[in-house]
Amino acid sequence: MRMPALPDHPQLQYLLRPHDGRISVQPLQPYDERACELLQQLSRLLLADAEARPHTDVMAFAFWCRRANIARLQRDHAEARARLGRGLAFHIAPANVPANFAYSYAFALLAGNASVVRVPSQDYPQVAIIARALRQLLQAPEFAVLAAMTALVRYPHDDGLTAQFSAMCQARIIWGGDQAIAAIRRQPIPSRGVEIAFADRYSFCAIDAASLLREDASGLARLAEGFYNDVFQMDQNACSSPHLLVWLGESQQIAAAQQAFWPAVHAVAAARMTLQAVQAVDKYTLLCRSAVEHANVAGAVRHDNHVYRIALDSVAADVDSLRGRHGLVYEYRARRLDEVAHIVNSKYQTLTYFGLSREQGLDFVLGNRLAGIDRIVPIGSALDMGVIWDGYDIIRTLSRIVDFR
Amino acid sequence: MSNLEKYQHIFKESFQYDGDLEQLEYQGIAVWDSVGHMQLMAALEDTFGIELDVDDIIDFSSFKKGKTILAKYNVVI
Repeated sequence: MRMPALPDHPQLQYLLRPHDGRISVQPLQPYDERACELLQQLSRLLLADAEARPHTDVMAFAFWCRRANIARLQRDHAEARARLGRGLAFHIAPANVPANFAYSYAFALLAGNASVVRVPSQDYPQVAIIARALRQLLQAPEFAVLAAMTALVRYPHDDGLTAQFSAMCQARIIWGGDQAIAAIRRQPIPSRGVEIAFADRYSFCAIDAASLLREDASGLARLAEGFYNDVFQMDQNACSSPHLLVWLGESQQIAAAQQAFWPAVHAVAAARMTLQAVQAVDKYTLLCRSAVEHANVAGAVRHDNHVYRIALDSVAADVDSLRGRHGLVYEYRARRLDEVAHIVNSKYQTLTYFGLSREQGLDFVLGNRLAGIDRIVPIGSALDMGVIWDGYDIIRTLSRIVDFR
Repeated sequence: MSNLEKYQHIFKESFQYDGDLEQLEYQGIAVWDSVGHMQLMAALEDTFGIELDVDDIIDFSSFKKGKTILAKYNVVI
């Protein structure tokens, strides 16, 4: 049995550690029954946890790893080849998205790997709640194998520790900005090791005006709710939250669609949003700065303090530097999606849409041979994490093929 | 328990609610918000051994409407 010892260090805190201080790096097959069972028990435990309830990100994770969804993922995986996990995955979770480490752990587990997960240095309640639930479940004898494969660590920036964990792992998963990724990459991983880096990305949205105008009131309300979730739930901090909304159609249709759409979005925001004063000021400052600094700003509309819209009369290749915050969205009108092909670079991650066919969406990316856009999903699904993310099939990347001929 | 009893029980348990279930709608009470909806959907899937489609999860807007949605999964309330 390969069971390397985990390091000790005054700065290193273990939120979860195999009981003898050694981690079992013997892999499992993807979607091992015990792994799936652990996740669905974690789902139940968190969904019923009163302390978890105020944290929508924890609840969304719990909902994601429920039995029905894991079963669906397993079916979609549809692998004909024999596979095994790679061994040990070392995760560096993003500092600013508290619940993200849990998805990263779940991905590696489903692929059949042991994990050392570095959680954010900041002491988020979400991290404590999920770690506590995991700790409780992993004490059960049925999960002894998984308990020996799981460590959650917290340490302040320390190249030495990052180097040690990196040298131990067969897969490294880095979530973070370009600088953080570059810093971690200075620490080598073994020559057979694989790495997935989830870098900072940019996302936008496209709505076909004519399709929107065909929606009845309830369809419109649902669309507005979905858009609200995409934009506001993570305060536009998520890589998949849109900053730019491209309207498609003739200008009269677009004008009519905007008049229907934005009041509906505002109604959702007014009911659900808690805007702090500092955010409102921040947003207003951003609005003013945009108007002054960018020649392509054609106008702005405010739906009281909740929703700000900035109209652009042209979009250049650097439009991804315009980032909204606290519910500020840039808008652009085009007749066809192809008219914005020139703005898409490798930073582009998600295109959320309404009224696009599969063919239109895929043609836009494939036909224009774009460097970016890994994901085209309906409005309302921007934040749905999947095992296909940032253009990677995470389960396949974190496992190896055992070929028999 | 009959399916109807199970169905009623899930709502009462999920929302700690003793009022008139027949009139209950999404966002009609504070606890049936987007988080409560996730709890409810997961409980329904667990209890009836089904996997709800995303569209049905979104369409599940009331106690009454839920009965017709579950019928699609051969769960007759």
